[in-house]
Amino acid sequence: MIDAVDVRMTFGDVTALGGVSVAVPAGTVHGLLGHNGAGKTTLINILTTLFAPIGGSVTVAGFDVVRDAAQVRRRIGVTGQFASVDEDLTGTQNLVLLGRLLGASRRAANRRAAELLELFGLTDAADRPARGYSGGMRRRLDLASSLVGRPDVVFLDEPTTGLDPESRLGMWDVVRTLVSAGTTVLLTTQYLDEADRLADTITVLSQGQVVAAGTATELKERVGRRTVSVTLAAADVGPALDTLRRAGLDPLQSGRTLTAPVESSRALAVVVRALDDAGIEADDLGLHEPTLDDVYLTLTGACP
Amino acid sequence: MTAIATPPSATPPSAAPTRVRPARSGVLVQVWVLTGRALRQLHDPRLILLSLLQPLIMLVLFSQVFRSIADSPGFPSGANYIDYLLPAILVTTGTQAAIWSGAGLAADLSNGALARFRTLPISMTSLLVARNLFDLVRNAIQLIVLTVAAAVLFGYAPAGGIPGTTLALLLGLAVATGLSWVFIALASWVRKVELMQMVGFIVIFPLMFASSAFVPITGLPPWLRVIATINPLTYAIDAARGWAMADPTSGATVSTLLIAAGLTVGAALIASRGVRRP
Repeated sequence: MIDAVDVRMTFGDVTALGGVSVAVPAGTVHGLLGHNGAGKTTLINILTTLFAPIGGSVTVAGFDVVRDAAQVRRRIGVTGQFASVDEDLTGTQNLVLLGRLLGASRRAANRRAAELLELFGLTDAADRPARGYSGGMRRRLDLASSLVGRPDVVFLDEPTTGLDPESRLGMWDVVRTLVSAGTTVLLTTQYLDEADRLADTITVLSQGQVVAAGTATELKERVGRRTVSVTLAAADVGPALDTLRRAGLDPLQSGRTLTAPVESSRALAVVVRALDDAGIEADDLGLHEPTLDDVYLTLTGACP
Repeated sequence: MTAIATPPSATPPSAAPTRVRPARSGVLVQVWVLTGRALRQLHDPRLILLSLLQPLIMLVLFSQVFRSIADSPGFPSGANYIDYLLPAILVTTGTQAAIWSGAGLAADLSNGALARFRTLPISMTSLLVARNLFDLVRNAIQLIVLTVAAAVLFGYAPAGGIPGTTLALLLGLAVATGLSWVFIALASWVRKVELMQMVGFIVIFPLMFASSAFVPITGLPPWLRVIATINPLTYAIDAARGWAMADPTSGATVSTLLIAAGLTVGAALIASRGVRRP
């Protein structure tokens, strides 16, 4: 549904994108991860026909974003980083305006507006000017605005930045609802848990380059920092260190907690058996999967 | 740019269920809907009041401060100063409205309210046309109120009567439209409200005063007289005044309309390109 190949973009002397490729199958969610300046928004701007790239080719919903921009625009919905709602208009008026611009009759536009306001829990605020909306309501109206034309592909640039936890969860639900209805979603985020929970596939961008791509699981496996940690009574720490070393592990001590990188989850059994044989009782024992934070920090070489 | 037909083979290869898509809107619908959006701003009664008050204050000040000019050499004999002044104010009020056109668009562009429109299958030019139509409507209301106030308060009753005054008013609207487009073009590239206001006043005030608006050109110092003679606003003011005072000059009228049309077309082309940039 989205097919970007070797996309290059420069602004003056600055290379914003140095040959980025992203492929998103229909009906899936793709997460673009990267810190500020990594090129996420530039890529979104190209995918949504705002910039023409200086190199590479991009098709969205089967149409070239440069040659067939008008066709692409009929099939996409975009929610930018900053809410693009008209403050002087009410929630309903905002949505009806867009419906009319997309060619719906007044009646159809009103019906669609009511539907979306309901979906986003804005029915009570429908007839109030957007000026008085809270940050969360404004973002919801913004997202609703991008769905008026029932787009095939939805682009969300940092959809939950600045939202309270409850609104974030609500936004995730909306994304899931969209995808279950067959919509393709591409979202950018700085929140790794967001990409982890929402995205089927992830691309990690750093300085305009793809540094990693795949499913969340694949990325975690690539970094492979799965660890076992054991918390013990103070007197047991020394003996436990020796025991784990004898079991072929390389534990690090931090207070009463020992942490050791392991290859697979089977290592947990090894640790349990070794400690049990040595007569050491652990207060807490666990296997830790690498988080996307680990992936991100390892791949982008950023300092934690 | 919105008239590209969909080739039958261009169905997207998509696994997503086929959706019922609304028909596309025509440019006229776009302009209509977007003008409606802009006109909603007029719901704020304070804004209407203030935008009417400003030219009224100008009318009161100029008509009283410069009253003695009617006694100066070069002034048409037997004419009232208000009859001489009002047609000029009909033109200069429009030039000030043009500044607000530019500043208004710059505000819209800088606060992100228009960001979404670039990703919609609509012509961005219809957005600009809508902006301009809104300004035209507001300007027309201003000028009508101004004319009525001049007649009621200061006894404006020129020889050209209502037909002549109407033509003067229409000329004022033509000038305002051309200049609005110039500032819309500038705003579509510059996008800074304060900068637009500064540039606006720097451009407009010399145009207004170094012209035949308030005093006969013959009463100006020689260097200013040179500027006033080549100032396009002088043509517009002379033309408007000519119709209102029943002494029409077709040359100035044609020049005014040509300049306004030229500015509109040229600036609209520049603006349509500028406004597409994110």
